[in-house]
Amino acid sequence: MKRKNNKKFKKPQNALTKLSLFQKSDSRFSKNCPLSGKNAPVIDYKNIKLLKRYISDTDKIMPSRITSVSQNKQRKLTSEIKKAKILGLI
Amino acid sequence: MNFYEHTLIAKQDISTPDLEKIETKYKEIITKSDGKIVKVENWGLLSFAKKIKAYKKGFYIHYKFEGESKTLEEIRKSSVIDNSLLRHLTVKYKKLDTETEYFKEKDNNEKKK
Repeated sequence: MKRKNNKKFKKPQNALTKLSLFQKSDSRFSKNCPLSGKNAPVIDYKNIKLLKRYISDTDKIMPSRITSVSQNKQRKLTSEIKKAKILGLI
Repeated sequence: MNFYEHTLIAKQDISTPDLEKIETKYKEIITKSDGKIVKVENWGLLSFAKKIKAYKKGFYIHYKFEGESKTLEEIRKSSVIDNSLLRHLTVKYKKLDTETEYFKEKDNNEKKK
């Protein structure tokens, strides 16, 4: 399986601009949502390739603070993942 | 009238003529109860992620149709009783996407490998 969306594994660019160790790095999770925007993929329970990216090895749904999915799309994702689980696809 | 998608999972040990019977049976149920079939997709034999009632694989049949609450009830009634089915799921849609077929491409790739 090819990963088309390599954006989420990019290191934060502003990590070195931090002044002290104890300063909070606010750039860490400030990435754009990969599922919203113009050419975003369709979230659907049949689109298993996409849904598999957002579940862990033990079939849990990944939290949005790791995947940086927006809140609206995360709600959609969970419902579609659950539908796919009913059909035994995931 | 609303748009719906309905998927069936039939048991693996069913013969091919029986599968066709199931496909036509649910087609008739939809059309008899004020429904209109837009598209029927046969996803073929797919393996489950987990075992469902001691079965590892199943035949998937996917319907896209236009109907009312009456049609949904009829489908539900008959599929709950049906012994040859493992599971079923209906989803409501505002617009039906008839062009993209997620499972057709996958089958072709598997054959090439």
